[in-house]
Formats: sequence, C-alpha cells, structure tokens
Amino acid sequence: MSKDSDWEAYKVPPTRTPVSERTTTVPNPVTFFQTVFHYVVDAPVTFVREWIERQQAKNKFYYYHQKFRRVPDLSECLEGDYLCFFEAEAQWRRDRLVDQEIVEIVRERLGACKQREGPNQLQNCAKEAEQLAQVTKAYQDRYGDLGAHGNARTCLMKQKQRMMEERKAQANASQ
Amino acid sequence: MAAMSLLLRAAAAWGARRAGSGAAGGFRFPGLAGAARLPGTVAPVRHSSSHGKRMFIIKATSFYDTRFLNLLRFYIFLTGIPLALFITYVNIFIGEAELAEIPEGYIPEYWEYYKHPISRWIARYLLDPPEKNYEKEMALLDIEAKKAELRLMELEARRLMRHRGDGPWYHYETPDKNLTDNSMKSTPDN
Repeated sequence: MSKDSDWEAYKVPPTRTPVSERTTTVPNPVTFFQTVFHYVVDAPVTFVREWIERQQAKNKFYYYHQKFRRVPDLSECLEGDYLCFFEAEAQWRRDRLVDQEIVEIVRERLGACKQREGPNQLQNCAKEAEQLAQVTKAYQDRYGDLGAHGNARTCLMKQKQRMMEERKAQANASQ
Repeated sequence: MAAMSLLLRAAAAWGARRAGSGAAGGFRFPGLAGAARLPGTVAPVRHSSSHGKRMFIIKATSFYDTRFLNLLRFYIFLTGIPLALFITYVNIFIGEAELAEIPEGYIPEYWEYYKHPISRWIARYLLDPPEKNYEKEMALLDIEAKKAELRLMELEARRLMRHRGDGPWYHYETPDKNLTDNSMKSTPDN
C-alpha cells in the first residue's frame, strides 16, 4: 500500500528564537548562503512545481478509500459452506491489512514525538510509547506466529487456544 | 639470395650516406627512425609528441562484448524512451488523483479507487471489476464444492447398494437356475 505523506500531521510548532542584537560589523555569512540557495535552487524548483500544479489543476479528479460491507465471520460459517469461508477469509485479510496500518501509524506517532521532544523524549513520550507497546502486543497476540501462510482459520484456532489458556489460568487462579 | 644481401648492403650504405647528409642539413624524416643505420651511428629519433611510439597492443577481442552492449542499449531504448516520455507526460500534465471523502449518496465506480491515472485506465479498460472477479472466484468454488459433495454421495450410495444388494447397481449375471443338476443332492445317501 503506498502512503501519501501528510506534512500537516506531525507539524512542529514554529520556533520562538528571539532576535538578537548585532555586536559585530561583520555580516552574517549564513544569509549569503541562504540567498544563494534561494535563487539557485529554491526559486526555480518552486516555479517548476507551481507550473506543473497549474497544468494539473485544469482537470482535477479524485480517488476514494473503498468501504467494504461486513460479512459473517469465519466463526459464524457453517461447516462445508465454502462460499462463506471465502468471504470470511477475504474480510480477515482486509482486517489484517488495516491492523498493520494501525500499528504503523502508532509507530509513526512515537517517532514524531521523539523527534519533537529531542532530549526529553523518554519523559514526554511515555504515553505514545505505552500505546505502541499495547498495540504491538495486541497485534502479536492476534496475528503473531501464524507464519506466511496464515489465514482466517489458523487465526481462529489461535484465538481458541488463547481462550482456553485464559480459562485454564482463571481456573488455576480461583483454586 | 647472395644478390639480395649485396643489394641490402648497398641500400644500407646509401641510407647511411643520406642519414649523414641529413644530419648536416638538420631536417629528418620521422619514419626513417631505425630503417638503415650502420652500427655505431645513433641518430636521434623524433616521435610525434602526443602519442609516443605507435604500438600494436595485443589483447582479447571486445567485438562481441561491445556488439552485445550496443544491441542491448538499442533494444531497451527502442521502447524505453517512448514509454518514459509517455509516463512523464502523464505525470506532469494529467497528474495523480486527490484523496476525497465519498460524497453522500454517491457510489464511486470501481476504477475511482486508484490514485495514478495509468492505474485507473488499466482498471477501467483492461481489468474486470473486482466485484465480477469475486463472483467468478465464488462460482468456481461453488462448482467444485458441489462436485465434491456429489462424489461423496456417489461413494456412499455405492457402498450401501453393494452392502444391501437392493439397489440398481451391483447386479451380476448368474447362470439360469433351471440348468443346475440337483441329482447328486436328491437322495440323502450321497
């Protein structure tokens, strides 16, 4: 799945560096390089890009994210109903892709937080780190060791194993 | 053969005389570098300054390699360059689609779920709609499932008819009962 990079999602607030008083008469060489960069690289590239966008704005068209209807799950399919198996399998694969994207987004959030905070990231990004730990643990529990040929059936069996172990743990705890 | 050696010796003497007169004159042909020189005379040789002495360098042939690489480049660029130009044109002048929310009450066509215009074109004109593909796969599965079910039922029917013997299958030709000779069982003392 290709991803549109969204510049606005993790925008850092503008820096509030105060304007400093000049104490020397030597001009700042950085401004020279900045103006050179602006005229040599920035302005031509911006001009070309805006020209391209003007050409593309003449006929705009859109694409959408497809919304799929929910179909009965694998656990609701009768035995031998291969059509139901097929639809449940397709739905399970779509759900697995969605879960992978969710994990990716939470990872990106943590990365953006670390980039923003810099030196005090261990302290200020604790919520995002906790969320990532929970999400990856949940993903591992659900889709973890199914392997490359994992399908809805193996995932259901894994869920059954989890529930059995949970019940056993409860029985042991209550003894 | 003897005359040849005399001829060569005369030519060498004549060449040395010419070389001697040439050194006095100051002009020298560059080609007569080691041509005919008496032993003992060393004439300075002037080569063209950019290349040095022309050498015949013996190396393995690169004819086949260069031919292969030229042909490879030619055939790749034959379709590669038009394709690259076409894709550049599409990317610059048509551009990719923008993501939008599905408007109320509007069901997008199946090609409107792709971003790049070439992917949209392929999905629209070359490929089947995903709904049709889905239904085709489900139809195949249905046919195979019905075939499997019928085969199992046939095996079960065969087993039962063979076992019970009251069905239309498993009839074997037996000889007529009127042909049997019961004379050896007709008296009790046999």
